[in-house]
Amino acid sequence: MIDPRYGPQEAAGVWVHLEHEAGELASVSKEILGRARALADERQEPLTAVLMGSGVGGAALEAVSLGADEVLVAEHPLLDPYTTAPHAKVLDALVAERKPDILLLAASPDGRDLAGRLAVRLRTGLTADCTDLRINPENGLLVGEVTGFGQGILATIECPDHRPQMATVRPGVFQRPEPDASREGRVEKIAVELSEADRPVRVMRRSLKHGVDITQAERLVVAGRGVSGDLALLKRLARLLKAEIGGTRVAADAGWVGHDRMVGQTGSVTHPKLALVCGVSGAFQFTVGIQDAGTVIAINSDKDAPIFDVADVCVVDDVFQVLPRLIEYLESEKKKNGRSD
Amino acid sequence: MARKTAPAEPITLDDSLWERVMEATHGAVAPCFQCGVCTATCPWGQLQDEPVNVRQLMHRAQLGIEQENGAMWWCTTCRACEELCPRDVPIADVMVSLRDLAWKDHAVPEGVSSVMWAMYWDGNPWRRPPSQRAGWSKGTEIPRFSPDCDVFFYVGCTPSYDSRSQKVARALTHIFGEAGVTFGTLGDGEPCCGDAAYGLGQHDYLKQIIETNSRLFAEEGVSTLVTTSPHCYDMFANHYPKDIGLKPLHYTQYLAALVEEGKLKFEKPFEARLTFHDPCYLGRANDVYDEPRAVLSAIPGVTLVEMEHSRADALCCGGGGGRMWIDTKAGERFADLRVPDAIGTGAEILVTACPHCIACLEDSLKQAGSHIRVMDVAEVVSAALGAGETP
Repeated sequence: MIDPRYGPQEAAGVWVHLEHEAGELASVSKEILGRARALADERQEPLTAVLMGSGVGGAALEAVSLGADEVLVAEHPLLDPYTTAPHAKVLDALVAERKPDILLLAASPDGRDLAGRLAVRLRTGLTADCTDLRINPENGLLVGEVTGFGQGILATIECPDHRPQMATVRPGVFQRPEPDASREGRVEKIAVELSEADRPVRVMRRSLKHGVDITQAERLVVAGRGVSGDLALLKRLARLLKAEIGGTRVAADAGWVGHDRMVGQTGSVTHPKLALVCGVSGAFQFTVGIQDAGTVIAINSDKDAPIFDVADVCVVDDVFQVLPRLIEYLESEKKKNGRSD
Repeated sequence: MARKTAPAEPITLDDSLWERVMEATHGAVAPCFQCGVCTATCPWGQLQDEPVNVRQLMHRAQLGIEQENGAMWWCTTCRACEELCPRDVPIADVMVSLRDLAWKDHAVPEGVSSVMWAMYWDGNPWRRPPSQRAGWSKGTEIPRFSPDCDVFFYVGCTPSYDSRSQKVARALTHIFGEAGVTFGTLGDGEPCCGDAAYGLGQHDYLKQIIETNSRLFAEEGVSTLVTTSPHCYDMFANHYPKDIGLKPLHYTQYLAALVEEGKLKFEKPFEARLTFHDPCYLGRANDVYDEPRAVLSAIPGVTLVEMEHSRADALCCGGGGGRMWIDTKAGERFADLRVPDAIGTGAEILVTACPHCIACLEDSLKQAGSHIRVMDVAEVVSAALGAGETP
């Protein structure tokens, strides 16, 4: 085995690499900060966040409010927008100098790209696409949980000898923490030296996709043929549940939902914790799009509808009879709890 | 509708591209003399203002000019064009070979590579867990194949996981039981035949699948192999090595033989007016037209009527050539064209023998508000034999 650049004896601290777009932290980075805070507390170590880019200092305070004790801000025009080489160079140098014990990145396109490059340079392991992170109480090591083979296998992975212990975290698996504006933290500017030679890739054009990405939705309310184009109740319910609206191919064909909200084999394969499917018969080509959902609640008036074979909760009733009662209940619960959004 | 074209730019022929295309297509386009019958025959012409210009695709392939607009991805490999091609060009094979080149050039449509990854990780193109592959039998014990079984039953990915097609697989096991046929499957260990990799053009990966499966079948001692889907049958019959002792059959062929030998007898009548939709991978690809009809006609009470387009002239459902995994816009779905054909026969049941046909036809009939039921040949036979399950 190749020797690591540094070992467990020298390593200390939990680090999170933050992603951002137009000065705003990416939601996956916020989720990782929340979890990393808990890991750092468990190990009684400080939590350090790393922000890289150009003109990104504003997001540092947000990172502090979400749990970071220290934010390292590396700014340079060549770090914007993200390209692999300069980011890898800067973060590699920073990690080698300060020797964190744990380094977490997002399992996003950029995070996956950077993490792989870094792990090789640092000669350490990388647990990719984790769906859970915890500390092994016996040896204090980071344990990454990885699902594979169509959820058929659950692997727990540790990195005992090499440092940092690196992991990328799948979006949507951890709760986003509530920001606490009274938290205090240290923001440190890192001197960055880069030249054009460090950026072999030139970004010719960036195009941002606007609209929804239902693959990232935590909760989904899905409309099928049975709602006959009347989505008013579904939308009200979605607002109450902070859910996104999705639709079957019938719903997308009819224009009840946009094509970007279509769930299924030729639409999006989604991973919500909760999917409430309304008036959906459950053709196979649709159900492959919700097979990764945590809980599926199906409402359909046809008790023989195949959707009930895959649903966790089956409601055999008319959608338009069930939803008003559900909405009424959720609204009264919300009032009781005195929450306001 | 006339296409407005920019002032013509000189076309430069690219010798290296020409060589690549010739190699990938094994020179199959060379005989084409550009008559255009293919373009005229292509079902897309009935659904789009601008038909898919098959002739032009062939001409570009002949000359080694880059293809445009991703037109090669429209092809459902239905082979309607091949039926009428006076030069016997294997047009569908050319289309999927051009897709193979697109993989090498990293120019495949969005979403297509995830189908290959699903096959790689999960052993099926639907991203379903391999551990649930045997779930189609719904708890009924299905024997593990051994060489002394009459047939090796290859269930296939879609009938293993799609709850609609699972009924077809269960109907077949019922029929085997009634006919006294001993059969076995590989249970959770059944591999994917590779049809989606063929249709979507990932032929390097297909080669690996075929090699692995051929070894597996040889080790298991598989001889007579009966498939649920015509797509799997076509793979085994036309893309697997001939020297591994495999005798692939689509189940309609096997059932027709059982009827012929008197092993499959129908006692009670099944009163219904049926019409049969020829799956492309059974009919045009493999000339299996008579067997499904012979099986249906052997059932007393059945009235079998033909649609306006049938046998070699049948219309494709739209699900072949990997199109099950590529989105088709509303109003452009082949199966919609089949609805009036089916209604025109006055049949109560539209019978077919392919999981993709069932999915597409049921979708279009439902959308059109028709009450015609879609049944698989196996389901009709099973019902005629007195099975409890109704589709």
